[in-house]
Amino acid sequence: MKTIQTRFGDVEYDPANLLHFPAGMIGFPTLHKFIVMPNKKEGPLFWIQSIDDAEVAFVLTDPSNFFPNYQIIADESEKNSLKISSEDDYFILSVVTVPPSQEITLNLAAPILFSPKTNRAIQVILENTEYQSKTPLPVSE
Amino acid sequence: MLLYIFTTERNMLVLTRKPGEGIIIGDDVTIKVIEMKGGGVRIGIDAPKNKKIYRQEIYDRITEENKMASQWDMDALDSLSTNLSTEKKDK
Repeated sequence: MKTIQTRFGDVEYDPANLLHFPAGMIGFPTLHKFIVMPNKKEGPLFWIQSIDDAEVAFVLTDPSNFFPNYQIIADESEKNSLKISSEDDYFILSVVTVPPSQEITLNLAAPILFSPKTNRAIQVILENTEYQSKTPLPVSE
Repeated sequence: MLLYIFTTERNMLVLTRKPGEGIIIGDDVTIKVIEMKGGGVRIGIDAPKNKKIYRQEIYDRITEENKMASQWDMDALDSLSTNLSTEKKDK
């Protein structure tokens, strides 16, 4: 196990069990390795901590928790980046923006594709889409 | 004719092309000016499929959103998670 000092305190992690972004996140092209942190509280949110830059962490969620119809299909080159074949499963995650006001938004315009088999992930930008980079949570009835 | 525009990161190569003319970048990217129409320029790009091509303003918007998303504090996440899981239980 290794330890990294983050702005949330010391985090212990197993270097063999990291999430690998071969191209980084959009705007963070040099940050390739992240620790997946379970949220202390229950609920749909979790976060990932960069080990390349201790200042950088992202809150993520499975968008189908909030938007059941949201579906993204990975194309061949995206599957190649994940190093998976066409039969392999992949998951869709959304980056959550948590401003101090608590009015959180999901970035549905730039989802993360993630393969549990290879532990690789890529963030893709959807073009010609209705989905917004700042999508508020649906109002529950 | 070549001239250079200075940007903060490096010098930008600026060159003049006519419709039908192109530019080759590296071994595998070709950019062609297709036509000029209504104040816009239609550009054709021939590149390998694994090269991601984005409209700059969209790429910049996602970069900005990611930068904002990378800054948050644990208290906000904690209370948010509490709210989200109670909402679920209420349903």
